[in-house]
Formats: sequence, C-alpha cells, structure tokens
Amino acid sequence: MNVEIKLFGLLIPFFAVMTVIYAWFTGGTEWVGIVGLALTGGLCAFVAFYLWLTARKLDERPEDRLDGEIAEQAGDYGFFSPHSWWPLWLGLASAALFLGVAVGWWLFIIAAPFAALATLGWTFEYFHGEKAV
Amino acid sequence: MATIVGPETRVYPDPGTPRQPKRNLGKLMVTWMTTTDHKVIGNLYFITAMAWFMLGGLMALVIRAELFVPGLQVVDNPDQYNQMFTMHGTIMLLLFATPLFAAFANALMPLQIGAPDVAFPRLNMFAYWLYLFGGLIAGAGFLTPSGAASFGWFAYQPLAGAAHSPGLGGDLWVMGLALGGFGTILGAVNFITTIICMRAPGMTMFRMSMFTWTVLVTSILVLMVFPVLAAALFGMAADRMLDAQIFNPAFGGAMLWQHLFWFFGHPEVYIIALPFFGLISEIIPVFSRKPLFGYKTLVFATIAIAALSMAVWAHHMYATGAVLLEFFAIMTMLIAVPTGVKFFNWIGTMWRGTLVFATPMIWAIGFLVTFLFGGLTGVILSSPALDFHLTDSYFVVAHFHYVVFGTVVFAMFAGFYFWWPKFTGHMLDETLGKWHFWLLFIGFHGTFLVQHWLGVYGMPRRYADYMPEDDFTLLNQISTVFSFVLAVSMLPFLYAVWKSFQTPKVEVDDPWGYGMSLEWATSCPPPRHNYTTIPRIRSERPAFDLHHPNVATMESPEPDKGVMEELLGGPDTDQAGRKGTETGGTRGNPHV
Amino acid sequence: MMTMVAGAALLLSGCGTALERGYMPEPITEDGPAIITLWNGAWIAALAVGVLVWGLILWCMVAYRRRHEDQALPPQIRYNVPIEILYTIVPVLMVAVLFGKTVEVQNEVLSSDQEPDVTVNVIGKKWSWDANYIEDNVYIEGVQASGLSDGEEGLFETLPTIVLPVDSRVEFVLTSRDVIHSFWVPGFMKKLDMIPGRVNSFQVVTTEEGTFTGKCAELCGAYHSQMLFRVQVVPQGEYDQFVTDLEAAGSSGQLSNDLNLYPLYDDPQRKSFYPDEDEGVYVPGDDERVSQGSN
Repeated sequence: MNVEIKLFGLLIPFFAVMTVIYAWFTGGTEWVGIVGLALTGGLCAFVAFYLWLTARKLDERPEDRLDGEIAEQAGDYGFFSPHSWWPLWLGLASAALFLGVAVGWWLFIIAAPFAALATLGWTFEYFHGEKAV
Repeated sequence: MATIVGPETRVYPDPGTPRQPKRNLGKLMVTWMTTTDHKVIGNLYFITAMAWFMLGGLMALVIRAELFVPGLQVVDNPDQYNQMFTMHGTIMLLLFATPLFAAFANALMPLQIGAPDVAFPRLNMFAYWLYLFGGLIAGAGFLTPSGAASFGWFAYQPLAGAAHSPGLGGDLWVMGLALGGFGTILGAVNFITTIICMRAPGMTMFRMSMFTWTVLVTSILVLMVFPVLAAALFGMAADRMLDAQIFNPAFGGAMLWQHLFWFFGHPEVYIIALPFFGLISEIIPVFSRKPLFGYKTLVFATIAIAALSMAVWAHHMYATGAVLLEFFAIMTMLIAVPTGVKFFNWIGTMWRGTLVFATPMIWAIGFLVTFLFGGLTGVILSSPALDFHLTDSYFVVAHFHYVVFGTVVFAMFAGFYFWWPKFTGHMLDETLGKWHFWLLFIGFHGTFLVQHWLGVYGMPRRYADYMPEDDFTLLNQISTVFSFVLAVSMLPFLYAVWKSFQTPKVEVDDPWGYGMSLEWATSCPPPRHNYTTIPRIRSERPAFDLHHPNVATMESPEPDKGVMEELLGGPDTDQAGRKGTETGGTRGNPHV
Repeated sequence: MMTMVAGAALLLSGCGTALERGYMPEPITEDGPAIITLWNGAWIAALAVGVLVWGLILWCMVAYRRRHEDQALPPQIRYNVPIEILYTIVPVLMVAVLFGKTVEVQNEVLSSDQEPDVTVNVIGKKWSWDANYIEDNVYIEGVQASGLSDGEEGLFETLPTIVLPVDSRVEFVLTSRDVIHSFWVPGFMKKLDMIPGRVNSFQVVTTEEGTFTGKCAELCGAYHSQMLFRVQVVPQGEYDQFVTDLEAAGSSGQLSNDLNLYPLYDDPQRKSFYPDEDEGVYVPGDDERVSQGSN
C-alpha cells in the first residue's frame, strides 16, 4: 500500500505550505481559506495515517506486487449483498427528511421514524445467527 | 450465493445458455430498484443524468431563443429567465456532469481493476437514490407557484437569502442539492475504498488504467470539497428557514458565502473534468494502437491539477476587490502546466501511431480541439488585470462552455460510442455517430465561439435582455441559430441508441480489437460479478497483453530505469529488466 | 480552428482598429492602452500555443492515419523522459512571464495613491444606481430601465447618467443598498463589485469625451438586465454646469449610505471610506429609496 500512503502523504506538505502562505498574505483575515486548506491537509493526514497503520499489519498484498498471480486471491473474497430494498427505503426516508426542512417540519417529523427504521433494517439485513433480528 | 469465492474459481452458468428473464416490466422494475450491481447502478446513473442533460439543454434553448432579438418574447418575465439559467447551471453541473462521473466510475472502474463489485454495493445504490431524489427535490421548484430558484447556480448571498428570494423554489433547491451532495460524497468513499482494497493481484497502482486513476483522484477531491458545499448549503438553509444570520452581509456574510462556495466550486470544475480526461486517456491509445505515452507524468499531472485546484478558488472573485490577486493568479496559471502535460501526452500517444478514425476517436479528437481553446481562454482569464473586464461577461460564459462542454460532453459521447458494447452488448452505429459528431461540433462552436466577442464588447452574463443600441443582436442571432443545430445533434444519437438494440449482440470480449484495460477481457456485457477468469496482469493494458501475446509486455523487457525514468516514465510493467530505451514490443502482427 | 478564429475575426471587424485592440471597446481611460497591450500579448501567446498544439494534432491525424487495414502495429513507445521534462518546464517559463506582465498591469490598473479630482460614491440598488458627488456635494438618483423588455430603440438616451469631467482622476467609491451588484463600464475595461456591507473603490483617469454604456454585471435579481446607466465624459466647463444644474434642481447634498439594508462593516484591509467622517461629508439627505420592481 506504499503508493496509496504516498499519494495522501505527499498532499500533506502541499496543503500545509498553502495554508501558511495564504494565512501570511491575507494577514489572517480570511478564515474560510485558512481553515479549509488546513482541514484539507488534515484529511490527507488522517487517510495517510490510517493506510499506514493498516499496511503495517498486513503482509504485502498480491495487488501491490508486480508478480501477483490471480490464484493468490482464491478462496473467500468477501460478502456482497446480492440485492436489497433498504437503500431505497433509506433513500426515500432521507429525501422526506430533507424535503421536510424545505416544505414543513411536519414532514420531517413524520419521516424521522421511517429513517430510523430504514437504518435499522439496513444494519441488520444480513445479521443472521442466534441473535438475528 | 452472495459470498464470492476467488475470482478464478467462481462458477457461473454456462455462457452458452444465458438466463432468459421473462419480459415482465414489474419484475424488471423490482430488479433495478433493488439492485446492488455496480453495472446496473451505473446504467441508472446514465439514464438519469441523460434525462437531466436533455432537460437542461431545453432550458438552454429557451435562454438562447429569448436572446435572439432585443425585447422579451419567449419568457413572460425576467424572473422566469433567471429560473431558466439558474436551473440550467444547477442541472448541468450538479445533476448531469457530477453524476455522470459516478455513472462512468460505476460502469467501468470495478471492471478495470478486476473487482467483482464496488466495496459497498448497498451504499452505492443508496448514493444513487440520494442523487435521484435530491435532483427531483431541487427540480420540483418549477412546480411551486413562485417558480424554481432564480438566484444563479452559485446562489450569492444576500440575493439568495430569504429577504431577496423568498419562496419554496429556493428552499427546495438548497435541500435538494444538499441531499444530492451526500450521494456524491458516499459515492466517492465507495470508489476510493474499492480502488485501494479490491484490485486484482498484480494490478499495482501504477498499472491501473488512467480512468481508474482519475476516478481515485476525483473521489479524493469530492471528499475534500463536497462537505464544504454541504456546510454552506446547510448554513444557507438555516438562514432561509430558521432565520439564522450566518450570511448576513452586515458581518461579512456576502464574502463568507463566496469563499465557501468557490472553495467547493472551483475543485468541482475539476471533479467534472478529470474523469473525462481519464476517458480520453483510455480511448486515444486504443485507436492509435499504442500504449499511453508518459503514463506516470499523466498520473502526476492529474494529482497536480487536483492539488492546485484546491488553492485557486478566489479567481472567481477577483472583481470583489477583497481577495489576494497575485496568489490566486499564479496558482491558477500554474494549473495550465499539468494540463499542458496532459495534452502533450495525448499527442505523444498519437505520435507515430496508427490512427483509426472510429467514432470514439473522432469524439476524442473533438475533445482535444475544443478543450484546448477553453484552456487558453482560461489562462487569459486567470490574469486579474484582464479578468476585471471579462468576468461576469459572455466571455466567461463562452470560456466555461468550451471547458466544461468540451470535456464532459465530448468525452461522454466518446465514452458512449467506445464502451456501448461493454455496457449493453450492442454496438452504436458508426455512421450515425459521425453525423452526431459533426452536427454537435458545428453547433457547439457556432454557439459559443461568437460569445467571446459578445463578452469583450460588453454583454454581461445572465441578462434576459439587451438594448438594440448595444449591437449585440447579430452575434446573439448567430449563437442562437447554432444552438438549435447543437440541439438537433441529439436526434441521430437517440436514433443510434434505439437502433443499437435492434442489432445482434457482440460475441467477442473486445469488439475494437485493441482494447487495453482489463474490462476488454470479459464478456459484453460482463456477468454479474464481472469475471469468470482474469488474465495475469503484467502491465497497464492487461487485455491487450492477453489478446496480442506477441507484442505483450511479458516478452518485451523493461529497460534499466534511472531515477527520472522511475519517477516520470511508464507504468509498472515487467520487472525482468534489460537494456534498451524503447519499452514494449516493437512491431507485431495485428492479426494475432 | 485557427482559421476559424481568424476568419470570424475578420468578419466581425468593422475596421482594422478593432482587430488592433483585440476587439476590446475603445479605451476611454489612461490605463486602457496598457490593458489592451496585455490582452493582445496574452492572445498572441495563447494563439501561438494553440496553433502549435492544433497543428500537432492535425499532423498526427494526417501523417499517422491508418493507410491500409492490415498495417503492422507501430512501435510501442511508452515514454520519453527528456521530452516530458521539456514540455513541463517550457510552460512553467511561459506562465512566469505572463504572471510578471499581468502583475505589472494590475498594479497600474489598481493604483489609487493619488488624490482624485472627483470622487463619486456610486450606490447600487435594485435595480438602478445612485451617485453622490462628494466634493461638489450633489447627487443623482437613478431609476430602473424598465422599458428594456419592449426591445425598442431609444432607451439608451433615457438611462441614468453619471457625468464626469475629461482629463481628470475620478475615484469611484462603491457601496450597495441591498444585494451584490457590479459596476461595469466596458470602456473602462474593468469592473468592481458592490458588496453590501463593504466599501470598494477604484480610480480612472478619463481621457476621451463621449457617452458610454454602463451595466450591472453581477446577478442582482429579476430585473438585473435593466440595471443600466451611462457615463458621460464632458469638458470641465460642461461638468461645472452639470453640477450647477443639479443644485438648481434641488439635488444638493448626499444620498445617505445609512439607508443601506446592511450597515457597512469595518474591513481592516481597506482604507476608510469616510476619511473625514466627523466633518460630515455624507449628509443624510432626504433620500427616498426608489421603489423596487417598479413594473
């Protein structure tokens, strides 16, 4: 994951320098740019740090090796939802929430429980086993 | 059934007897509404974005028709005109171009890295629903008594506040865009995760297709700036609906909004440009029969454009008299450098190639020719001394249409003609494609080239009307006439789309014969989880290596690379290095 | 493409001089020629780059087109580091030159160190302009050009007119009563926004007599396109007469900025708009706000 870490990591000094230059030349009077640039650098730092942390715990992945063979990824690849109604329900509920802010809070209040329900449904859709809901 | 085993051991139904779904509309609707398949979601994005594209185009025709002669003829009152260009801008930028990035990313990116789907399939579908519903909410303003938002797509405060633009239309605009914006953010998270975590073995970062690189960089940009837009929109919503005072001009709110909006707004331009540069970078090599020239400089140019684009936002604000002119001027001009690098790399790809003028290639060259001019006027606009005259005039309108239409629309159609078999299993008609291209090309340049003069003469943008004494009439008439040619160009395309489904299915993986990235190594369209087998990946063009083993990278050794070559040279190819300056095979028989 | 630009350019040029000034409006201020020089230089450089790149594309299309169906694959060259470095460095140099030139002109355009002969406080409002002549203590009050929708000729003569003396340094102090407007006289070849709460200013030195068009360049609501005005540059004698006429018509005093919807705030970066506020230069006059949206 070296390249990924570098991709984010190299953006940190860029934004750090930009923040300083911008803050210096505006005399610290314009806050959107200073905060925005600094936080953008922070975002890169977070991602780079997380990737670095993860990479430390992993062996080199076959997708990072020049000679990786397809067969190396044989076996259980992961879980992929084959199809699901929950994105639609949660999407509708979110839309109603946002629409409610615009047209009237009554709609927001009606939509809120549906949004909660949809979130629960989504979360527990594949929650099987003893404690399945 | 949902757990996927390793890619090469997956079992699929015999491709000879494809599952024939019953022609049942209800069932099809349910399948599409509940799908988590990135290809189907990509299609949903395509269909929705194209619907908005045509709607936004109709609004543009109303605008152009209104400007045909002085006086108000087409719309009832100037406010309706303002609604037209506000929604035209909103639709084209946020409901067409941005989702089109998600559409192409969904349709192609997992295929290009050899992944069975995106990392979070349900989140992917959720992102689409947020886009669809967000767009419908924003567009629903037209159904309200006071009409849709009419304060321009960048919603400058205090004009866009409750005091100056009351009405439900504006409220719907704010909340709809906020909702859609979350969809974009979730999509970006999905793409980044997929690219970092789900590449096939051997698909190193520097073997990814250029489009995948642009998806990655674009998604990072989305993560950086869409939250800023969301914050700004929520602030605006609070001002409008909760009577907050966030953007009260008495405390500098007018400038606060502009800074927040353009901090999002300028990178947004690159969010909708970079992926389309990626599409072009895929198409030109295939029809030049050469690998992409300067792969790594292209990657670094993409990253450089993205990074620089974060620090140029206030070049939209020179005329406010409240921003650092020199800083933003130099940063903006510097963007021309990586963009120029891209141009020369595309030309380098064509250089000494064997150019085949199939429809996708014609569109790609149309993109090069058009976008170049937009880029040049962009450098001129970056100079504050000139921008003081040009900003908010038709010169700017012409400039950004050259840039945005030049990239998004030209590259989109290049992509459609190129990947249509991969998306649908059918080919688009070449002849109709060429008619489509020439109508659109002539219509486009006729509409927008003359607007440069209009702006320089002094026609401000967003004017519903002008005086006969202004002498704008002739140029406006030229522009309007050609805009209808531009609109007519959609007809051959729509006919070609309809016709494509009447033609027999494509039987081979790669109907173009020289497809390079991995998606050309699976069927058209690919199976549910994309691959029954994945070829060994040893360069940035695994499908080409697979189909043309005689020129494949495996047998064409890599030179010993110096530091500069390591840094700026080609992609990761074979590691068995030998001396030589030209990498890759030299000449091979194209018929193998 | 180039021929297209050049051809269109020829078609559109009424006379040769329009091309000479790059189709810019005729300059009516002292810094106009410098802007036009920069503009032309930038275009020559841009079109040179454009012609080079379009030429290269065209060359590729002609020289490297596939000539027969079974042509062998071309050499599969992936990169060439020296060339790539070259086409990175050269644009950097070009950009550096453009930047240097643009800063030069920009400093000239924005210079406001000298004492102005006439100071006009132009106040943008939906959808017209008020103007206070500070030194002469008179004002004019503009009304919206609501006849625009008819598309008839003759509207231009009726627009609110800011009269200025020729060959004098004029400072425009820009404020807004309500939303953001932008004060644009195309002949000045620069514009500046009027931002509620803020004070902006710029100076020009008038060099040409005549009547010139002026427009609002920032979307300010429904009747944005009707927010038009004229600038009339006249000899000093006529200007003095204009001031006298205004006084005779009862337009003495100033239209107050206190009636702006949003009070002006202090901006640490700006010199004060009220250098001699205590002396009461801005007299709160009997200002009536022009009713908004009069049609």
